[in-house]
Amino acid sequence: MKKLIRIEQIKILNYIPFQILLGLYVVAIVLGLVIYPLIDRQIPVISLSDVFRFPDVWAFMTWITEPYNILLSLIVIMITTNEFSNHTFKTQVIFGLGRRELISQKIVLIFLLALLATALIGLTTILLGLTHSYKITLKIALENAWMLFPYFISSFTLMIIGMLFALLIKNTALSILAFLGFRTFISPILFMIFTKKEWEFRWFLPFRANTKLTPLPDLIEIFQRKLDSPEPVNASSFEIIPKGLPLWGNILVVAGYLVILVFLSYRIMDRKRLT
Amino acid sequence: MTILEIRDLSKSYRSVKAVKKLTLSIEQGQAYGLLGPNGSGKTTTLSILTGILRQDTGAYSWFGDAPTPRQRTKIGSLIETPHFYPYLNLEKNLKIICKIKEMGFEDIDRVLRETKLDDRRKSRFKTLSLGMKQRLGIAAALLGDPDVLVLDEPTNGLDPEGIAEVRETILLQVEKGITLILASHILSEVEKICSHVAILKKGDLLASGSVKDILTEEEVVEFSCSENPKLRKLLEPSEIVSELREENGLLVAALKPGKSIEDLNRFAFDKGFVISHLASRKKSLEAQFLELVKDQTP
Repeated sequence: MKKLIRIEQIKILNYIPFQILLGLYVVAIVLGLVIYPLIDRQIPVISLSDVFRFPDVWAFMTWITEPYNILLSLIVIMITTNEFSNHTFKTQVIFGLGRRELISQKIVLIFLLALLATALIGLTTILLGLTHSYKITLKIALENAWMLFPYFISSFTLMIIGMLFALLIKNTALSILAFLGFRTFISPILFMIFTKKEWEFRWFLPFRANTKLTPLPDLIEIFQRKLDSPEPVNASSFEIIPKGLPLWGNILVVAGYLVILVFLSYRIMDRKRLT
Repeated sequence: MTILEIRDLSKSYRSVKAVKKLTLSIEQGQAYGLLGPNGSGKTTTLSILTGILRQDTGAYSWFGDAPTPRQRTKIGSLIETPHFYPYLNLEKNLKIICKIKEMGFEDIDRVLRETKLDDRRKSRFKTLSLGMKQRLGIAAALLGDPDVLVLDEPTNGLDPEGIAEVRETILLQVEKGITLILASHILSEVEKICSHVAILKKGDLLASGSVKDILTEEEVVEFSCSENPKLRKLLEPSEIVSELREENGLLVAALKPGKSIEDLNRFAFDKGFVISHLASRKKSLEAQFLELVKDQTP
């Protein structure tokens, strides 16, 4: 494992597009710290500051930053397809890596990127929470911190999906187009088509299930609570998940998808021609 | 000790049979050439042996064991053109290979020196000329002093100076006693470097054995005397010639191994024939190879 991490480290730390995209990702997250409070000042009646307070800030931040994971998935797609276009998967096999290790090294990289993303979101959330909350106790501050766990799974899964697209298509531009097409158009369109009650399977669509790991906070409920009581809110706003599967159900569905995706990735690499 | 054992190895690309039931055995310390024209199955065979491709049927074993990725860390390979990370410099590309082989970075200096690339160690791979890329491929193959060197057309695309340099590097390894498997369509390359050869054509093994046995340069002699038909009758069953024919009034004979033009002259003189014309025509290896490849098509 250490060997695979070291190999990936040499590859990516010297790869300028990786540095640029990761830099963009970090800048985008950090900019959030500045931009979200600015947006708040534009809306005088409803104060968005309420969602930046502990413990609701955890749900808000994991929800609003979930699409940023697309950027990380693009990094994974680029790195994986480059191995095909540079024929470096072949070189690594010739010199002694197994085909499964080729996939394992990408999964390790994805795991580390998901950890980094989760840590960054955690840090940003704490900073926002600390600057906006009236009353801070450790209990209140960490009450919804567990939301980082589904965020991590969501981030990890999205990047694994990106890797699978790259393994199947092998071409960088086409893989990115296909991935973005599915994530942004095909999946939402399918979800909209299957609106009838008997089509509850729509909640099981991969991208939808993954997105719902970090669901939209119930803003109305948060503001309602604020109107009822000016005191800081102690209760989590996430006891009520808007629609579809409960969060634990979503976690199970996505975990199932993860197993299938990882299995497929190994199978594809086992059968892929590396020449 | 048998380093590589190949049994009935076959591989097809749809309707094209690239390798047909290849059986071969390579012993430690042999410099084995896989010789054949383009499309004969050399690269496919080496790609299977280095884990890039999977065979359809048949089996092979390295060092007496079924193939595993870990075995390949003891084999230095260059299959077709070398492929490395274009944005990384030579040193970092070799560091990746060192990591794969689970060895330290100390050997990088040596292989870069041996392939005369030490002054370009900080250059990115994409900035190298074709010859330099090929040399880097050899440098990577030499990392960690492997037990076996597998090289597929290592002089492809090189200028004459580059070819000489690469051959010199390979010969140095052969002299050190490394086991070499070299695929080439250049006969002289195999002849200069290898001790053994397997000749392939369209996936079939036409011949295999020591270079001496398979590709000995035959001496062909043309001669004549006043009684050519009589001399021919005497020579044909003799121990001196292996092949005899008549061309434009001259007798043309291929001498058996170990026999010289003097032996032929003495034989004729002893039998009472005075040879009036005697000249040597060496039959080139190239001609023999082409003949073999042409005639033995199954």
